[in-house]
Amino acid sequence: MIFFFENNEIHAIAGQTVGSALLENNVRVLRRTRFEGAPRGMFCGIGVCFDCVVTINGVANQRACLVEVEEGMRVEGFQR
Amino acid sequence: MITVVGAGPAGLAAALSAANAGESVELIESGARLGGQYWRNLPNSIVVDQQALNHDFQSGKVLREKVQAHPNITVLLNTQVWRASHEEGISILHTISGGTTREIRTNKLILATGAYDRTLPFPGWDIPGVMTPGGVQALLKGNNVKAGKKIVIAGTGPFLLPVATGLAKYGVDVVGLFEANRLRRWIWQLPALLNNISAIKEGASYLHTLRKFKVRVQRGYAVVEAHSGSDGNLSAVTVARVKSDFSVIEGSQRKVVCDVAAIGWGFTADLSLAGNLGLMQQVSLLDGGTYVVVDEHQGTSQAGIFAAGEITGIGGSKLSLAEGEIAGSAAAGSETNTSKKRKLAKFASALLRTYPVGPNWQSWLKPETTICRCEEVTLEIIEKSVLDLGATDSRTVKLFTRCGMGMCQGRICGRSVNDVVARISGKPASDADRVSSAARPIASPILLGELAQIPIVD
Ligand SMILES: Cc1cc2nc3c(=O)[nH]c(=O)nc-3n(C[C@H](O)[C@H](O)[C@H](O)COP(=O)(O)OP(=O)(O)OC[C@H]3O[C@@H](n4cnc5c(N)ncnc54)[C@H](O)[C@@H]3O)c2cc1C
Ligand code: FES
Repeated sequence: MIFFFENNEIHAIAGQTVGSALLENNVRVLRRTRFEGAPRGMFCGIGVCFDCVVTINGVANQRACLVEVEEGMRVEGFQR
Repeated sequence: MITVVGAGPAGLAAALSAANAGESVELIESGARLGGQYWRNLPNSIVVDQQALNHDFQSGKVLREKVQAHPNITVLLNTQVWRASHEEGISILHTISGGTTREIRTNKLILATGAYDRTLPFPGWDIPGVMTPGGVQALLKGNNVKAGKKIVIAGTGPFLLPVATGLAKYGVDVVGLFEANRLRRWIWQLPALLNNISAIKEGASYLHTLRKFKVRVQRGYAVVEAHSGSDGNLSAVTVARVKSDFSVIEGSQRKVVCDVAAIGWGFTADLSLAGNLGLMQQVSLLDGGTYVVVDEHQGTSQAGIFAAGEITGIGGSKLSLAEGEIAGSAAAGSETNTSKKRKLAKFASALLRTYPVGPNWQSWLKPETTICRCEEVTLEIIEKSVLDLGATDSRTVKLFTRCGMGMCQGRICGRSVNDVVARISGKPASDADRVSSAARPIASPILLGELAQIPIVD
């Protein structure tokens, strides 16, 4: 299936998480931090650290490591 | 009706033994599949040999199927308990599932919410590409995705071995496997470790497989710094030889090129719900972690609430299973057999003594090293709050600096902040301070919109 990260088409398999599908497509930086603008990606991988939070279909602060991909999903990182 | 929260080894075993004793059981799990961290399995859309990733895959499959097929068990997946409370023998669980909230009242509750990787802050640990071994394992076991191409595995503990083995089998170049503790600790604990021959054999088989892939465990080494390339991603780590207190042996530092470094220091229990429910907790002398206090039958300090698995102490999947089985029987009012648990617990304690975390990991920190990732609080800021503003415990430091007040609610930095503040202030962290850093008002930040719909009665 296909979804979008920052408007780029990403291919994924149903059942994979957004974070894992992005990683498979060499996208490691998911967002930038609020204060320093430092790049962040997945860290704990299991929903504990909240480093991987992205906006999914307009809903902010979703954990990319937990949410499973859906066809046509639109994912945005936190850009400063 | 018995309510079980968490469908890892402990929760599955608890649900099954309670159901077999004739009780009806509701099993609540926030994830999409049964199995917890240990029996993480792939979605049906991905077909690969999962046995290769987990030697114990089959027994997990059998247990999951038994739970799913049991007429007495109702399984609620994708359902998160985001807050809980306890009054007059009744536990109230607030759940959320796909935007729908529910309140569950129960007089018999079994908590089995598990643990997550313990991490330590070090310079560069917030660079994308630095991960936890559990996270890397979850990507592989749950998504069939390799976290990187050249991976360094480091930290301490027996868990590093299956993670490195799984990656090597899947064709990842494991460029280094660094265990901070030395082999002699094994010898000190040998009598207790020999208690569990099957676990020793399991470890030996990982070492054997790793040798085939030319991966050697380098003991007495730690990753003390991470470096990023021009694209902002991890490009290399600095590895150093460390003493038993984890201070660096000068001159031993060298760089290892990698795109992922999976670094873990054992596990930290997820005590969010335990704290909400007011369960008595204590700091373990074995690993300094905070755990739910239980009696021989997994009963907690609150009537009708039982706890099992890693939230009562880190001990691996077999011990979690044994504890779950006891909790399920005890909650159902049936006989329990605790002999297996006692034997496994002895082995678990010996392992924790074999893989301690030396206090001088703090010597790896630099003033500008991030300690709280969420709120971007550095060591320097914490130092100021202690030395200039007079904070002497983590709670006060938290109020001054916001460290531990971000989205993860201190799950990642809480334990380390206790240690950092203790060192700077020269005042050891009290047990009360440690227990309070493991407490959080809600188990999971849920969407504000969803929260707004819920009448909160306190
Ligand atoms: C990421 C990770 C990977 C691991 N992989 C391995 C491995 O490959 N091999 C190995 O030997 N050990 C592994 N471990 C060690 C593992 O912790 C134990 O071996 C075992 O899984 C512990 O069992 P448990 O039942 O106590 O907890 P867990 O297996 O952690 O299960 C707890 C369950 O509770 C659920 N839960 C927690 N809070 C809530 C809530 N508020 N509402 C609803 N549900 C909730 C969680 O989603 C989880 O499924 C891993 C640990 C981690 C953290
Ligand atoms: S990677 Fe930690 S919450 Fe997603």
